[in-house]
Amino acid sequence: MIWLCNVTLYDGKDLRDGKWDICVEGGKVVEITPSREKESNFRDDTYDLEGHIVCPGFIDLHVHLRDPGQTWREDIDSGSLAAAAGGFTHVVAIPNTTPPIDDPSGVRYVREKGRKAKGAIVLPAGTVTVNREGKLIAEMIGMADEGAVLFTDDGSPVVLAKVMRIALLYLRDLGIPLMEHPEELTLSEGGQMNEGRVSALCGLKGIPRSSEIIGVERAIALCRETMGRVHLTHVSTKEALESIRKAKQKGLPLTCDVTPHHLFFDEEMIIKSSYSSAFKVNPPLRTREDTEVLFEGLMDGTIDAIATDHAPYHVDEKDLPFEEAFFGIASLECAVAAVLDLWHKRGKPFPLKKLLELFTTGPGGIIGIDRTLKPGARADITVLDLGKEEKVDAKKWNSKARITPYDGLTLRGWPVMTLLGGKIVYDRLKQEVCHEV
Amino acid sequence: MEAFLMKGGSEMKIKAIVMDEQEMDLTIRRIAHEILEKLRGAKEAVLIGIQRRGVHLSHRIRDVLKSSGYGELPCGELDITFYRDDLSLMADHPMVHSTSIPVDITGKDIVLVDDVLFTGRTVRAALDALMDMGRPRRVLLAVLIDRGHRELPIHPDIVGRVVPTSRDESIEVFVKELDGKDEIVIVAKE
Amino acid sequence: MAWKHRHLIDVDVFTADDFYTVLEEARHMEEVMERPLKKVPALRGKVIANLFFEPSTRTRTSFELAEKYLSADVINWNFSGSSTAKGESLQDTAKTIEAMGVDAVVIRNWEVGTPEYLIKKLNGACVINAGDGARAHPTQALLDLYTAWNHFGSLRGRKMTIVGDVLHSRVARSNIHAFSKVGVHVVVSGPRSLIPLHVFDLAEYESDTKKAVSGADIVYALRIQRERQEEGLFPSIDEYHSRWGINASVLSCANKQAIVMHPGPINRGVEIESFIADGDRCLVLNQVKSGVAVRMALLFLYLTGGAGR
Repeated sequence: MIWLCNVTLYDGKDLRDGKWDICVEGGKVVEITPSREKESNFRDDTYDLEGHIVCPGFIDLHVHLRDPGQTWREDIDSGSLAAAAGGFTHVVAIPNTTPPIDDPSGVRYVREKGRKAKGAIVLPAGTVTVNREGKLIAEMIGMADEGAVLFTDDGSPVVLAKVMRIALLYLRDLGIPLMEHPEELTLSEGGQMNEGRVSALCGLKGIPRSSEIIGVERAIALCRETMGRVHLTHVSTKEALESIRKAKQKGLPLTCDVTPHHLFFDEEMIIKSSYSSAFKVNPPLRTREDTEVLFEGLMDGTIDAIATDHAPYHVDEKDLPFEEAFFGIASLECAVAAVLDLWHKRGKPFPLKKLLELFTTGPGGIIGIDRTLKPGARADITVLDLGKEEKVDAKKWNSKARITPYDGLTLRGWPVMTLLGGKIVYDRLKQEVCHEV
Repeated sequence: MEAFLMKGGSEMKIKAIVMDEQEMDLTIRRIAHEILEKLRGAKEAVLIGIQRRGVHLSHRIRDVLKSSGYGELPCGELDITFYRDDLSLMADHPMVHSTSIPVDITGKDIVLVDDVLFTGRTVRAALDALMDMGRPRRVLLAVLIDRGHRELPIHPDIVGRVVPTSRDESIEVFVKELDGKDEIVIVAKE
Repeated sequence: MAWKHRHLIDVDVFTADDFYTVLEEARHMEEVMERPLKKVPALRGKVIANLFFEPSTRTRTSFELAEKYLSADVINWNFSGSSTAKGESLQDTAKTIEAMGVDAVVIRNWEVGTPEYLIKKLNGACVINAGDGARAHPTQALLDLYTAWNHFGSLRGRKMTIVGDVLHSRVARSNIHAFSKVGVHVVVSGPRSLIPLHVFDLAEYESDTKKAVSGADIVYALRIQRERQEEGLFPSIDEYHSRWGINASVLSCANKQAIVMHPGPINRGVEIESFIADGDRCLVLNQVKSGVAVRMALLFLYLTGGAGR
């Protein structure tokens, strides 16, 4: 039995007034009561979490765990521990592995390894097309039966519109979304960073904004025609966001997520960092205006979730001159902190509850995982310390990645404890990762 | 003269009544016995009625013979629509009725039964149908009414009554089983 | 009784009476097929040309037998080696066979609308559609109707579920018309990528096959073609079978007396489980037998009578 006491509670519906005590036992939330004096009971594990915020467990819809086949970069175990340290109870593993997860046995592998991992649960996803070649749809029904929570060819878009349409129709009655990575490959080919002021100045080949815009518009048109569920991931341009806003107003079954780094950093960082490849990512860091428009999109409901697109690499793959390095930002363990820090810095322009929705009920709703804390609910809990300030040190990470644009930054607002099914899988307060209680 | 609805659905004027119910019954009985006479020596015989009223007549003939103690002759029905020689010349399709002959006709004495013998084309079609079904020992033709105007060399072996008619007339036979009454009349054709 | 249709393009123009006329006539034709000499001279002297652009042994043989049982003279136009392969157009083919003097043309083509095209080009010969593209296959629908009618006696108020690739199926479309007209409630099911987007203008659609089959008297499985997998419209035969194959579990949702039908040839273990295909609830062989009788009935109705038209 665990007691989390004197907490501020976000229960998935409201950020409740006052202080609360939560009792967790047998993997479930047993009781939620207003805070009161308790007789000491040495057998219980009681945490005095005055000043902390308890939320339903955070979900990250988009992480690359490189398992199977690229495990020098990350694997399901290290990724699971990194996620727990980052405040997540569930992460969705993107299937662009080697081989890609394009059949039921691949899904079963990730599901079983992901369930046994010691940190957050890793949920399997399947590709849309066989071998991610974009030509023939994969056995999505078989994969759904094995537990795939979404389908995506991410890393790439579903290259052919015809195939995406067939996939949307085929998936329609499964109730599982197609996560589309919006990019027009013929436009982005060879590009290194956002096409704009900075690329003009420094001579790096730009990735036209139209690449993402066309990808988004295409997805919206196919969504409208087939009424299949589409989730657009790592949206980064203001134009794309506006199109999504309009489509959602028309009632289309469309959702989207943004990454923390597209909120936190802009393209100027590339010059400011002297072309550090830690800032090299696809879709690329955009203009300051884009970051502001995206931030506003968090407020008005256009954006449904924040997803990290955690892209870990071996040092040898990132510690290279800008044009040679791989695209991708690793951030699982500090992403939540980055968003909280940004929210602080911008003057807390919207209620905290809205922010917490983007990590809980938003992504939960997309993959069908309930995120409410109430008696009887599974005890998936993220505990935040909004005031905690700490410097990011990738050398201490559970993730195998060591290069991140956040390295050395002091961020304010951190997850400090993560419970999964009533078990503490991360406990900053005790400075270590815990297992059974 | 009463006007009445024809089987085809058009009104016709009756010109004369040829037979009433009683007369029909007597005639059918006589036909039955004549058939028996002609069949003497036949090993196996089969009555085959031509659709539609020939079938009912053949049943009555069978019943008369049975009740007179001569045993039950096998009875079959034959629809000759597919053997008609005027299929391309017709505007409408005639309704096809069933063909069902319970025994093999090869080697048997067949008695073809029909209500009215006119041009002979119907009997010709029936003969062709029978020949496609087997090789009878012989075929006899029994008809209730012979109205003349043969167009083919067909002759009946047993006739109920010869009724001379003109071309613009027609003979209608009503049977209880289909029409609710037994009667034979001459009508003027439209 | 007048048969007022001149050509047989699709059954969507048939009234309920028309259907029953064909069914009754087919019954008589079945009786003819039981005679020792399976032949009647009803179409003697008529010349019928079978123009089968798409390869089809089953349907063509069925038509050929029907034509011959009615004593018609038959020409089989074979396209793999003929002048059409060399590029002769349908129009010229039509003119050629007409010049040779035919009374009827039975045509099967992969393009929708070829029967109408042929009617325009011919000078009065009767045109019978043996399947045009994915639009219509009226003789199949009629033999299916006959099979079901023969089995159940009456069809009004019953339910039929069609499962499979409706998008590419002329059999599905014609059957939807035929069975609906005689009062059968028709529901379709299948992978959504193989169902027309606007299916609701065609028939009721239910994605869950078991729900779709629930209470059905007739479970009709369509053929799934390999080409569709190659086009990427469904991922694998295994997955197709697991969701849309007619197996014991799906069949148990239908009525206890329900029958299983299929236009043939069956891909065993894909569209229908083998033991069901061989069982007596599956009427595929009855369908084949009915095919000849129904085609005889149709040829009789279309090629006789109608004098002075």
